[in-house]
Amino acid sequence: MAEANTQPSYPTREEVDFVIVGSGAAGGVMAKELSVAGFSVVVLEQGPHLKAADFKHDEWGYDVNKELTWGARQGYPQTFRKSVDHDTQTRESVLDYAHNVGGSSVHFSGNFWRFRPIDFMEASVRGPISGTNFADWPISYDELEPYYTKVDWEVGVSGLAGPWDPPRSREYPCPPMPVKSSDVLLERAAKQMGLTPYPAPVAILSQPHNGRPGCIHCGFCNGYGCEVNAKSSSMVSMIPLALDSGNCELRTGCTVSRVNTDENGRANEVVYWEEDGTEQAQLAKAVVLCANGAETPRLLLASESEQHPNGLANSSGVVGKNLMFNGYSTAVGLFDEPVNAYKSVPATRVLHDFYELDPSLGYYGGGGIDARHFSAGRPMNMALAGGLFEGDATWGSEYKKNLQKEFTHTAAFDGHTTSLPLATNTVTLDPNVRDKWGRAAMRTTYSDHPDDISTMKFFYDKTMELLDVAGATKSVGFYAEEGQEGNVHLLGTCRMGNDPSNSVVDKFHRSHDVENLFMVDGSSLVTSGRGQPTMTIMALAFRAADNIIQFARRGEI
Amino acid sequence: MIDTQLSRRAFLRSASGAAKTSIIVLGLPAILVSCERSKQAMLNNEEFSVLTEEEAQEFHAIAARIIPTDETPGATEAGVIYFIDNVLNDDRESEHETLRLGLRELQIAAALGFNASYFHELEPEQQDQLLTEAQDTAFFGTIRFLTIAGMFSLPEYGGNRDNVGYQLIGFEDRHAWQPPFGSYDADYIQRGE
Repeated sequence: MAEANTQPSYPTREEVDFVIVGSGAAGGVMAKELSVAGFSVVVLEQGPHLKAADFKHDEWGYDVNKELTWGARQGYPQTFRKSVDHDTQTRESVLDYAHNVGGSSVHFSGNFWRFRPIDFMEASVRGPISGTNFADWPISYDELEPYYTKVDWEVGVSGLAGPWDPPRSREYPCPPMPVKSSDVLLERAAKQMGLTPYPAPVAILSQPHNGRPGCIHCGFCNGYGCEVNAKSSSMVSMIPLALDSGNCELRTGCTVSRVNTDENGRANEVVYWEEDGTEQAQLAKAVVLCANGAETPRLLLASESEQHPNGLANSSGVVGKNLMFNGYSTAVGLFDEPVNAYKSVPATRVLHDFYELDPSLGYYGGGGIDARHFSAGRPMNMALAGGLFEGDATWGSEYKKNLQKEFTHTAAFDGHTTSLPLATNTVTLDPNVRDKWGRAAMRTTYSDHPDDISTMKFFYDKTMELLDVAGATKSVGFYAEEGQEGNVHLLGTCRMGNDPSNSVVDKFHRSHDVENLFMVDGSSLVTSGRGQPTMTIMALAFRAADNIIQFARRGEI
Repeated sequence: MIDTQLSRRAFLRSASGAAKTSIIVLGLPAILVSCERSKQAMLNNEEFSVLTEEEAQEFHAIAARIIPTDETPGATEAGVIYFIDNVLNDDRESEHETLRLGLRELQIAAALGFNASYFHELEPEQQDQLLTEAQDTAFFGTIRFLTIAGMFSLPEYGGNRDNVGYQLIGFEDRHAWQPPFGSYDADYIQRGE
């Protein structure tokens, strides 16, 4: 897409209408909506502005060197503990997200399920779960639906409407992706079991749309940037429109350290370092944090002041709490014929028959199942895991022989499941470890709720059964039975709600405490959904932007 | 640090599409520095960046047991040793030290068990015996990791020459595919399901 060189250059010491921190799934949408509506916008992004031509099938670079997601090697160590009673360990990375324009919408799988009506009111329907902060959302599916449709058409989604799908006001803009062998195996097995598989909605174009080309099925989606702009990241779908508006200045390589407030407690300045370490501070009439469910609470906590001793926007004490990941399970089966799941997009069928597990099981949970390549199609990861099936060698001639089948003749049936919001699962500032800028490192404290682990077990059992019905000659599976210690879904840490005592933002994403501060990203989610949050994050961003524009026009910010 | 104590389950976790968070945590910038040279280097007149000639010979021999050459090419043909030299040369002194210490122990075992000064002088069966005994060490985990990484990463990094690793597992690094992708979707289309 052509990007006209119409970027303005706003002086840092003059107020712009909005500073947006982060250019990812939410930040890209916000930047486009606000700038096209005529507001002056500065977007601060800590990573570079990569383009399709920069991306490679480079497993060593991305998976090992973490060139997109960054870790301790780049100067960003993180720490982890299971609970406050456990020791804290310094790790290469705990919460993984891409550091580039477009954020993780650039390197994510592209799986793009909408949430369902039940997700927004499940606490009422299901009843409270003691010891958790399980709650209804302050908005309904119906309120969000027009924005899901906006994402479908403006960002670009492929899928097939049908009775299996949540209610929709408009067809998908692109037909579903062609089915893969791994999904044929899943679909046939599921149908034999009386279940209802359907074409997976993905943020990857099956045919040209909005001036971008259709997918060429190279297979390097999950963990990689799309080399032809067929994946509907905010980098390719939203940022170019923001830059074309002439109202948006995108500043890359800018690491935000804090948000300052004036004597009235209003956010008025965003402080950041440029790549060379020069400190800058941009004045703004309003600030929108779209930095993700890890960075947004970290920034609020780091912005403490005399006026805001617990951190900015944190009179509730809820900032950084209720961190949710989504659970998962995986079951890998070996098949007689070539599956070649490494080709094309990660998944082309999905099974939502277990979206809500039967309460009589005695625990809360639900999820979806899809079929993938067990190492996301990556040769090196596959070989490192090689000797996959019980009793197989992990090196030597026999190992080498097994590899020859494991890459091409396997399918993985994966479960993607709920996480409950817990006050004890948090993102906080580590008191001992610092990053390259001298900021407190991000500390994650996290233990899955027992119901989350039971749910993963349910999906593990179900997918192993599906493999069996599908005719796998060997199978092996895994779920996080001892709990997860990191993830890429970073949800719930500035939750949305009507009650300022137990939520951080209101139903319009406005801080309960600071009227010109908005938090719009995975941190806003009240519940976790079933594993594919990006579609909902983008829909929320469109809805938030719509409201913010109206507030601004009415002088209500 | 390389997390070398990777169980099958841990691997699965890192490898699974659902997990997505890799626990293989190396990480280094500017890796391609010496790759161009290594591409041209030959086994016998090599010039290594950080490996001594002895280390290169020994690690080369170990890699050749982890992915041996049999009816198909192995670590030797892939040039894995050059990959190892390249990545150790990029701010990986602690991994190199793990390998140095482990090699010393392996050589002591070779001396005690087979009266040999060097691992690479042993018969393949003897080599396999010593490596089996070392299987649970950080040393073996590191050299296994690097051998496999060198076999299956992009050739630009010095290993996987002529894509022999990719060929071994049936992976073709193409930029475009068309359906059918495998047997089952071909059948599905044919039956009009």
